[in-house]
Amino acid sequence: MTTIVYLRMKKNIDFSEMQEVQLKHIAYVSSTEPLLNKKLENTPIYRITKKDKNIVVMDSFLIIDHLTNIFEAIEIQLIGHSQTIIRVVPKKKPINIFFVSVVWIILFIGTAMTIMNFHYDVSMQEVQQKLHYLLTGEQNQYPLWIQIPYSLGLGIGTLLFFNHWFNKRFNEEPSPLEVEIYKYQQDLDNYLNQYENKLNDTNPTN
Amino acid sequence: MIQTLLINFLQVLIGFSGGLAVGGGFVAFITVLGIIPRLIQLTKTEKLVKMYGGCVIIGLLIGTYFSFADIILNQSIIILILWGLFHGIFNGLLAAALTEVLNVFPIISKRIKMERHLLILLMAIVFGKIIGSLFQWTIFVK
Repeated sequence: MTTIVYLRMKKNIDFSEMQEVQLKHIAYVSSTEPLLNKKLENTPIYRITKKDKNIVVMDSFLIIDHLTNIFEAIEIQLIGHSQTIIRVVPKKKPINIFFVSVVWIILFIGTAMTIMNFHYDVSMQEVQQKLHYLLTGEQNQYPLWIQIPYSLGLGIGTLLFFNHWFNKRFNEEPSPLEVEIYKYQQDLDNYLNQYENKLNDTNPTN
Repeated sequence: MIQTLLINFLQVLIGFSGGLAVGGGFVAFITVLGIIPRLIQLTKTEKLVKMYGGCVIIGLLIGTYFSFADIILNQSIIILILWGLFHGIFNGLLAAALTEVLNVFPIISKRIKMERHLLILLMAIVFGKIIGSLFQWTIFVK
């Protein structure tokens, strides 16, 4: 009698060194026989070597193929993802303060310049002068009473949009930035699933 | 007589078509940037979408009136401060929503492995805007 084994591939897995990949590393296993579960989970699937560099894509087809060869009388049902991306990443190095500062300054100066160019582009000074005259009836070349609150408001608006003040967030929903990062990661994963997969005999360069 | 009538009619036609084009463009711009959905999301007021649409239209009309009419309202400084503040918040949302910012961040964080410091970098943008703007108005233009 065949036992049905349910297999759910993990989407991503990070290893800190090159090691032997067992089924439990890359997938969740479920069947009616606990003993079989254990056996399956400890089955070696693949050995990561230098040749693989740091990304390996395990396709579910290979795993099914491998498992049905070793174990008799099992039927594998795949649920969830059809590939797992294995990344070999060395232990995280401590943060480089220098790098963070440089990027911070780039973004800071870049944003400051961008906003100044934008103000010139739309002649904001003139509009604010006219508005100052319209609202108060006095001519003022430097309508700071509008401009300083405006500047602070710029910051508030950006914070509202990103839904963050340093590590504090205003509500539970993910901010557009987090969604965008997720999308980018998703795209990268899709690319890897396509081109790092040994079953897909395609290569972007040829 | 007929000639002036025709010319007036032509002016009406030109003005009206210009307004249509600019209005359409403006609404498209606001929609693409998704500021209104973002504000709705933050305030959880999905039911009031129509009202927000009305706000945009009224704002457009008042802005148009202000830019063409030669009136003086004799208001106090408090109105100026409020006006500036709300304008700033709107522009902050607008600039943050520009997709360039949103697209640059995932790449930066990935390239230099700073996923965990993203918020600090975000603050760089916030302070850059505030300081840049303050610098321009208080020092640069004088």
